Amino acid sequence: GVFAHLELLEVRAYEAAVKQEEMEQQEEKLARLKARVQELRLQRDELRAKVEQQQKGQLGKEGAVLNPAQPSARAVLEWKMKSLKAMLQIFYLTGISGKLTKRGVCFCISTAYEGTYLDSYHLDLLTKPEVQIYRHSVPIFIPLRQIAKKYLQTDIRRFLSVLSDHLNAYVGRRYQADQLQEHFSGQIEGTLQRNSLCNLLVFNYNVSSESKTFPFKVRLLYGDPCCSLPTEVVISCTPDAPASLAETAAAHSDLFRRVALHKAFRSFSSAGECVD
Amino acid sequence: MDNSICQVYEDEIQLLEEEIKLLTEKYEDSQQESTFFSDEEILMSINSLQKEFQGESKGNESPSDLKARLGSLETDLSFLMKFTGIQFRSHSKKTVEKTGSRTVQKHRLSGNCHSLSFQLEFQLLEMQNKESVSAVITDLSILMEPGEDSDVSKFVSSTEEHGNLLTFFRSLSSYAEWYEHRRCTFLHFK
Repeated sequence: GVFAHLELLEVRAYEAAVKQEEMEQQEEKLARLKARVQELRLQRDELRAKVEQQQKGQLGKEGAVLNPAQPSARAVLEWKMKSLKAMLQIFYLTGISGKLTKRGVCFCISTAYEGTYLDSYHLDLLTKPEVQIYRHSVPIFIPLRQIAKKYLQTDIRRFLSVLSDHLNAYVGRRYQADQLQEHFSGQIEGTLQRNSLCNLLVFNYNVSSESKTFPFKVRLLYGDPCCSLPTEVVISCTPDAPASLAETAAAHSDLFRRVALHKAFRSFSSAGECVD
Repeated sequence: MDNSICQVYEDEIQLLEEEIKLLTEKYEDSQQESTFFSDEEILMSINSLQKEFQGESKGNESPSDLKARLGSLETDLSFLMKFTGIQFRSHSKKTVEKTGSRTVQKHRLSGNCHSLSFQLEFQLLEMQNKESVSAVITDLSILMEPGEDSDVSKFVSSTEEHGNLLTFFRSLSSYAEWYEHRRCTFLHFK
C-alpha cells in the first residue's frame, strides 16, 4: 500500500544520503592528502636546496653563499653538547666508558671481535663506604665475584681490565662458534654443542678423501678463560677412515689451536681441501 | 578506485616524510661536523644566554639547566680520561653515508696515553637491526709516537689489519705504563 511505498522511498532517500556523505568524506580526505603531499614536497625541496648550498659552501665551490648569520648562543651550546656526547661515544669504542652517578660510577665494558663490536656489560658501582657492586649485567658464568674479591678494593682499573679480559674472551669464543654455524653449516654434521661459557665445543664435520666423506669428531676445550683459542683439541675419525686422514686430523688439530675457528674452516675451503 | 588514489598519496607522504627526516639529519650532521667553537666562545655563549634570558621561558631550556647539562658531560669526560689514562686531544667525524638503517662515519682521533701519542683514522659502520645497533670498524689507520720501536710497529700493523680498535686501546694503557716505567728506569741510570 501507500505506507509500504512511503517506507521504501524513505529507505532509498536515507541510503542516498549516506552515499552522498561518504562521497563527500572521500573527496575531503583526498583533498587533505593532496594538500599534505604538496606541503611535504615543498619542505623537501627547500631542504634539498639547503643541503646543496651547504655542500657548495664546504667545498668552496662557486655560487656558494657564505653563511652570514652568526649562530645564536643557544646553537653554540647545542654544538658543544653534541660534541661532548660524540666524545663520550668514542670512549665506548675504547672498551671502558661510563658516567658518574650520585653514589658512584656506572661503568660500561664493551666487547669486540676484531672490528666488530659485540655485547656491552654494565656495572653500577657505589664508592662509599667502600667500593661495591650495586647492579650489573655480567652473565652468571663469568667469575665476577672472584675477580671483585681480588681487585675491586685495591685497584678498580685492574678489576675492570681483568673483567674485560674474561668478557672479551667469552664473546670472542661465542662469536667464532656463531660464525661457524652461520657460514659453514654445510660442513657441520648434526648440531654444534656448546656450554654457556662457550669454552667447550663438540661437533662433527665432514672431510672427504678419495671421493668418500668421513666424519671428524672434534672436541675443543678452552682452558684459559681469558683466551679465545683452545688449549686442548681432540679430533677423532671413524675406524674405517683411511690412514692418510690421520695426517689431516693432526694438521687440523694444530690449526684449531693457532687460528680462530671460522678462519680455520675458511682456510680449508680455499686450500682446496675437500671439506664438505 | 578512490581508495587506490588515497593509497598512492599515503605512500608518497610516507616516502616524503622519510626523505625529509634524512635530509634534516644530513644537514644537521654536516653543520655539526664542519663547525668548531673554542672554549672561550663557549663561555661567551653561556654568559650571553644568561643575560638575554632574564626570566623568560618560551618553552626553551633555561641557561642554568643547559650549563648544568654541559657541566655534567664535561665532568664525565674528564673522569674517564683521568681514569683510563687515555687523553683525547682532538676528534672530528664526517658522515659519509646515511640511509634509513645504515650510517657510515669517518673519524679522526688524536690523543695520548702517558708519553705515547697516537693519531687514528677509521670508518665506523653502524647498522640498525631489530633490537640493536651493530658497529663495525674498517679502514683503521694508526700512527704512533714514538713509532720506531719494532714491537710497537708490529703491534700496530696487526691491529690495523684486523680493525682491532678495541684491542689497541685495551693494550695501549698497559703498554704505555710499561713504556713509561722503562723510560724512567733508563733515565735513572743515565
